[in-house]
Amino acid sequence: SPEFLGLGCVLCSSVEQKIYVVLNETVPCVRLLNATHQIGCQSSISGDTGVLHVLETESDLDWILSSGPHPPYMVIMETAFFNRSVMMRMKNSSRVAGVAVIISKTGLADNFSPHTTCPNQNTGVESYGSDLANCNGTVWNPLGNGLSYEDFSFPVFALKDENQTQVLRKCYEDHNQRVNGSAPQYPLCAMQLFSHMHAVTDTVTCMRRTDLQNRFSINPEVLCDPLSDFNVWTSTRPLNNSAKGHAADESVVIAATRLDGRSFFWEQAPAAEGTVSGIVTLLATIQALYPVTQEAPPPRNIFFSFFQGEAFDYIGSSKMVYDMEKNDFVIDMNNVHSMLEIGQVGLLSGRSLWMHSDPVSRQNKSVSEMMSRIQSAAAGLKLTVDHPSVSQPLPPSSFQRFLRARRIPGLVLADHNTSFTNRYYESMYDDAENLNVTYPPGLTPDEQLVYETDAAKSLAEVATLVARSLYLQAGGEENNLNNITADPKIVAQLLYGFLVQKNNSWFRSLLPPEVTKKGVNSILSPGPPQFYIGLGPRVHGPAHSVTRFVQYILANLTGTVTNLTESQCQNPSELSTENKDLFSYFWVSGPASVNGTREPFCVRASVRLSKAVSPAFELLEYGSRNYSTWTESRWKSIRARIFLVASRELEMLTLGVGVAVLLLSLLVTYFISSKAELLFSSARETPTTTY
Amino acid sequence: MDLSSVFFIGNIMNLERIPNEEKLSLCRRYYLGGFAFLPFLWLVNVLWFFREAFLKPTYTEQLQIKSYVKKSALGLIVWVAVLTTWITIFQHFRAQWGEVGDYLSFTIPLGTA
Repeated sequence: SPEFLGLGCVLCSSVEQKIYVVLNETVPCVRLLNATHQIGCQSSISGDTGVLHVLETESDLDWILSSGPHPPYMVIMETAFFNRSVMMRMKNSSRVAGVAVIISKTGLADNFSPHTTCPNQNTGVESYGSDLANCNGTVWNPLGNGLSYEDFSFPVFALKDENQTQVLRKCYEDHNQRVNGSAPQYPLCAMQLFSHMHAVTDTVTCMRRTDLQNRFSINPEVLCDPLSDFNVWTSTRPLNNSAKGHAADESVVIAATRLDGRSFFWEQAPAAEGTVSGIVTLLATIQALYPVTQEAPPPRNIFFSFFQGEAFDYIGSSKMVYDMEKNDFVIDMNNVHSMLEIGQVGLLSGRSLWMHSDPVSRQNKSVSEMMSRIQSAAAGLKLTVDHPSVSQPLPPSSFQRFLRARRIPGLVLADHNTSFTNRYYESMYDDAENLNVTYPPGLTPDEQLVYETDAAKSLAEVATLVARSLYLQAGGEENNLNNITADPKIVAQLLYGFLVQKNNSWFRSLLPPEVTKKGVNSILSPGPPQFYIGLGPRVHGPAHSVTRFVQYILANLTGTVTNLTESQCQNPSELSTENKDLFSYFWVSGPASVNGTREPFCVRASVRLSKAVSPAFELLEYGSRNYSTWTESRWKSIRARIFLVASRELEMLTLGVGVAVLLLSLLVTYFISSKAELLFSSARETPTTTY
Repeated sequence: MDLSSVFFIGNIMNLERIPNEEKLSLCRRYYLGGFAFLPFLWLVNVLWFFREAFLKPTYTEQLQIKSYVKKSALGLIVWVAVLTTWITIFQHFRAQWGEVGDYLSFTIPLGTA
């Protein structure tokens, strides 16, 4: 994460402004470390400079890697060339100073997933050395090229802004273009990328050095930070938050999904099919289920959980399981009856939904009972539900961490039978378009907010199915099922807010007033939210934007409006009618009236955040094989600039002339000082003879 | 050798006007001082008294001064050899030594092994 740099360059010398053109929005690739490896990109401490070259054809690749006369090159890579083979060739070449990848849909291949083929293979349930470990049974992400997990020794930046790319192209065309096959002449356009990362080798080394610095150095430098944020959870019957450990008389059905995603670049993760489909479905499920569970409560409690950090070896779910086992959570493993997880469910397109389990669990009668409940819940809907072959293991899911602790019955719902249908898993291209969330042209933002796309309707169906299945699983009556239906309008609003524009009128009405009023760096900046976990409150301020959104949406969907004042809302324990152990109290903005004013009010809901940091960092086992050990390196500054460079010969000539002038001036000075009496004596002779 | 002793030396750098017994005692003091893990005292001793010991015409104390200068030079060479060897080994192997290397380091460079 960046450290405070001090004053920016306000009154720069104008010479510097004449030389350098600074690129404003930079999207870097940063270094991440785990117990044994480092991944990502690193630049030199004073930046990497290279002559620009646009990589559009195979001959350009040849020019950069072998025949070009002005190495090292800074490659501007067209979208089509951002694949494993080209990047590996760049990695092994000494003539590449850095890469700037153009991110656009033109020229994009049919699939692109920089993630590994077997996500989270070492921290799932199959890592006991069984035959199904390491995706021996099913390869979940066969289109994965593993680029996100490679270690590059040069900086890689992304060019998302079309105008910025145009500036680079113009500089290239003006100075660096080849004329009739002959090499371009100096001066050439060059780019310098700064993204020097402080951490090296692995998490163990980096945390050890941080500890040493904190103990012995006058000016301690932190080298890396563990990835951390918060999980969000709620339940149909409120749970006493101050009573940790086993909750008496509580049998709980857990409904879970993940909150995060990632891509090759830092803080970029639209994660539409990978994550948003699950979040939106679970939120719609809660909206459908909650009223019925209050009117006709089922025997068991239903516990909804959104796990953060699942892309990085299950940070959130491993922490919750760890807390449960240590009796440090509101419930423990003995309270858990069963678990239903929502995986990637967005690309159904008329096909069926799949209930994933694993070969060992299938022998358990409870699992087949759970499957039949889901199938009966699907009976009245347009969906079909099926189960994959018995010998297939579970896909990567938070449920695997629960299974690792105890064999509880559970299922993972997904739109894929064997490998993922998502062709852009954990990449920058897993966006609204990948989920078929597109809006007809000419709609205003408020009209787009409520427009029900086909994707919204499909996810609403899935949410209805999940809600009814959960109700049955919790022991509810079948005749109440028809009252449980997810509202496609809410699903449409959620999809718009999470995929297209988070600064919309609905989100603004749900969030606290100080968030809606803040300036540039608030969580309501324009555009869709990014789902990368980040470093949490210690480094970045209040919780991650997505975590906040889910928390406040849940407060809106499940909470009750109270007539508390703002100060009472902050301190409800003073009132006898309010219970801080069972509920959280949120001061929200409320909808904007016609003349733009809002009347904030207090909402009471049983929504809580729980810390999502890997247990490895609590146990100080930085080399742990059982828990996630992912950390993100720190850095001082990340920036990019372009300028013209002269040839090496001209540089050497300038230096040589300068040195020669220095020596000459020294010589002349020595000569003059030794002959000073001769040179300056004539003016002084006459005064001595006047006396 | 801090700045004050440099000025001190500057003030009496001209050994011409100092009697020979004082020159001998100065040389001896610098020679003995170098044993307190101060090889720079030996370096100064060698450079400063080199002319006195080897290039001036003979006088009584010169033999002893010559021996002190030679012994200081020897000590200096030993120190230079030891330090050069250790620094070379440390710079080369620090990254491979992992934990031990980090505990031996005062300042660890950022971003490189």
